[in-house]
This record gives sequence, C-alpha cells and structure tokens, in this order.
Amino acid sequence: MDYILNGFVEAFRLIFSFDPEIIQIVLLSLFVSFSSTLYGTLIGVPLGVILGINNFRGKKVVSRLLYTFMSFPPVIIGLFTALFLARSGPFGQFQLMYTPTAMIIAQTILVTPVIMGIVFNHASTSGYEVVQTGKTLGAQGLNILILLVLELKGVIMIALVTGFGRAISEVGAVMIVGGNIRDFTRVMTTFIAMNNNMGQYSVSIAMGLILMTISFITNSVLYHFIMGDQNEYQD
Amino acid sequence: MNIKTSHIVKTYNQKKVLHLDGQYGELFFESGQIHGIIGPNGSGKTTLMKIIAGLIAPSSGTIRYNDHPLCQDIFSQMTYSTHTPTLFSRSVYENIAYPLKIRNYEKDRLNQTVSQLLEEFDISEIKNQNARRLSGGESQKTALARALSFSPQVLFLDEPTANIDPKSIQLIETALKKRNQDQGLTIIIITHNLSQAFRICTHLTFLDQGSCLFSDTPEKIMTSTHPTIDEFISFNRF
Ligand SMILES: Nc1ncnc2c1ncn2[C@@H]1O[C@H](COP(=O)(O)OP(=O)(O)OP(=O)(O)O)[C@@H](O)[C@H]1O
Ligand SMILES: [Mg+2]
Repeated sequence: MDYILNGFVEAFRLIFSFDPEIIQIVLLSLFVSFSSTLYGTLIGVPLGVILGINNFRGKKVVSRLLYTFMSFPPVIIGLFTALFLARSGPFGQFQLMYTPTAMIIAQTILVTPVIMGIVFNHASTSGYEVVQTGKTLGAQGLNILILLVLELKGVIMIALVTGFGRAISEVGAVMIVGGNIRDFTRVMTTFIAMNNNMGQYSVSIAMGLILMTISFITNSVLYHFIMGDQNEYQD
Repeated sequence: MNIKTSHIVKTYNQKKVLHLDGQYGELFFESGQIHGIIGPNGSGKTTLMKIIAGLIAPSSGTIRYNDHPLCQDIFSQMTYSTHTPTLFSRSVYENIAYPLKIRNYEKDRLNQTVSQLLEEFDISEIKNQNARRLSGGESQKTALARALSFSPQVLFLDEPTANIDPKSIQLIETALKKRNQDQGLTIIIITHNLSQAFRICTHLTFLDQGSCLFSDTPEKIMTSTHPTIDEFISFNRF
C-alpha cells in the first residue's frame, strides 16, 4: 500500500518542480483539446441549431445517429482517422500521421457529435418556441439564428465543456494518431498510460492530479458563466 | 387588413378539432375592428387564431389577407402574443426593443418608442430586469409592449389578460383601444372574460367543438337563441 502514499508525495514534488517536459505536455494537451473543441463548436453549434429547429423527414434517424456518435469509443475514432491519414490512405500525401494536427483532427471528429447532439436536443425543444416568437416579431433568416444562439447560450456553454472534457480525457484516439512521441505528440493521457505501463505510478498520479485540476477549473469557469447568467440582469 | 377565412378544417391525429362550414363556413375579420373569439375550453379558439396568424397550416381551407394569400410581407405586418409569452433572456427593455432593432430603427427613435411603451404599460421600474424572471402579469405586459413596438397592422392576442390584476387589465384595454382608434390597428382577441369582450370588441365569433355558432356584433349575440350560446352567456353573468 505504501506505493500509493509515496506516489502522492512524489506527485506533489513533481508538480511543484515545474519540470519543462511536464509543462510542455500539459500545454500540448490543452492546445490540442481546445483546438478540437473550437472546430467542433464551429461545426456542431450551427448544424445542431439548424437541424434542431427544422422539421424534416428523417429527423429521428439523425438524432439516433447523433446519439450513437456521441458515445463512440475514442479508439475507434482514432483508428478511423488513422486509416485516412496513413501514408497509403486517401490523405497520406499530407503526411499528417503522428502529428499534433492528426490529433486535432481525430478529437474534432470525437467532440463534434457531442456538441452538436446537446445543441440539437435543446434547439428541438425550447428552440422551437423562440423561433416562433422571433418570427411573429418579424425576424427572418440570420436574425433568427443569432437570436437562437443567444437564447441557447447556456446550453452551448454546457456542450462546449462536455466536448472539451471528452477531448482532454480521452487516450485512445490521440494514442493511435499521435503515437505518444516525446516532445512532439505526447499529451497528459498518453503520458499517464505510458508511465503506468512502466510501473512509474507516482508520475502517473502527478499527471492525473494535474488533469483533474484542469477539469475542475474549466467546470468552475462554466458554472460561473451559467450561474452568472441566472443573476438579475445588470446594466 | 381584411382577413377572410374559408372552410377551414384542422385535423390532429384524425380528430377534427376545427371544421368551419355551413352558415359560418366563411369568416370575415374586417380591418380596423376589434374581433373577439369566445367559447368553451378546447373549442378550437387558439387553433383558429394560430392558423389565421400563419403560425400553423390548416389541413384544408383558405385564408386571404386583403384578398392575397399569405406572404412574408403580410406575415411581417402581423404579430401574436399570449398569456404565456416566450420572452427572451435579456432585459425587459431589450425585449421591447428587439423588433425595432431587427428593423434597423435609429437609436433615438428606438429609445423614444421603448420608453413610451415602458411608461404606458407601467413597467419602467423593471426595465433592466431579465425578462425570464418576471411575474406572470409583468411578462404579459412586456410581451404586449414588445408586440406593439413596431406598430403592426394586425395584433393577435390569446387571453392577454388572464391572471392580470384589475388595474392592469384596464391599462391594457386602454392601450388596445387607443391603438385601434388612433392607428386603425386590427385586433383579434381570445378571451374568457365576457364583460371584457363587451367592453372592447366590435365583433364576436363564438366557437364550440370546432364549429362556429355565431359571428356578428356583440349586441346580436345577446339575442341569440342557440342553447349553447345561451348557456355560455348565462354562466358569465354575475
Ligand atoms: N398540437 C396538437 N396536437 C393534438 N391536438 C391538439 C393540438 N393542439 C390542439 N389540439 C386539440 O385541439 C382542440 C382545440 O384546442 P385549442 O387550443 O384550439 O382550444 P381553445 O379553444 O384555445 O381552448 P382553451 O380555451 O382551453 O384555450 C383541443 O381538443 C386540443 O386538445
Ligand atoms: Mg386556447
């Protein structure tokens, strides 16, 4: 049992030593996951809103597909991305395999359905009322879309953080398309998996703590945004 | 705007909730009048109003607006408000300003219009409050001010004074009558308050089980011998 306690002691020592390698790994993780969340938002929010507020044939199929993709295992998505990016694959000429770009692509595929699904779900229900009301007041086209995004602000924030949470915590996709290359594609989760395999539990625990702290901070920021919105309107 | 409906039928899951035929198969909502739609719960009032307002499509039948079918131009001159309005999650002021903003009103004119409405509906004090956290009556007044802000030609109101205190009811009725007289605003209003209908309406339409039993002046309804209408009126007399 000692190794657990020692692990924690060692973990704190590591965190406060500000090891440049650790810092670089954390920064890369944040960069990759923030980027994929950003792209996922740019694709998922407008699509989710548009599909959500419109009634069309096959809407049920779309929502079922979305929910399926929301829970797709990251390894499968990594594998799928790798097939396309591999040297002999359709996008092989761009030589993206085992680069941070490949990791961003894989994570974007991973988080887009999550963000889109959450937005789609709310746009289909409360969004409908907002659209109807906007129309009776003379709004059309782009104005309706802007109105809806503003009204669904809280939901979009939740979708963002859920997407980011999924991205930063997954290991399967980044491992397959990134390859956990030192100083290049190594991120927090692949670092933890690797050290764990090598029996270096304290380093794993240290990185695990950092990962959890980052999740906590993002969630707190979200909570602040959403709850801040519940307060009385101030000029 | 003159609105004429012809043989409207609305079916939900094979059930006819509205079927206007026979003597009152065609209904005429004359421009510049205040039309009341009355009748028991579930008689199809809201359904009829949403169809005329262009918010839902009838299963069959036609509606003509100044002898034209519905188009975006006509649609944007009409507006609709209910006793459970959807207000936007922003200040009361911003809610009322919304229709003006999308119509690119210049700042001074916008401020002036909104301020007058806040004053008129006695909601100046809550102008900076988020509209999602208002009381029922405050929401209804805000929604009505928002609907009137851009001076529409036709105003549809579904029980706008349900759950509203007597003073505010008077304030709302005054505002409606004023716009009807000054600007020729056509109003189509659903109400369960028969004395209100007699106070403000110049024309009444009575629905029962999806059919229209009466559509004429308020004076005439008092002399109606139809048993359903008779019973409805006697229940309202107190
Ligand atoms: N979307 C819908 N799907 C199925 N049935 C509906 C739908 N909307 C209305 N109905 C039915 O149509 C009938 C008429 O409803 P409507 O809302 O027009 O009545 P109403 O006269 O406005 O009643 P109230 O005075 O209670 O507001 C009701 O029996 C209602 O259950
Ligand atoms: Mg109704």
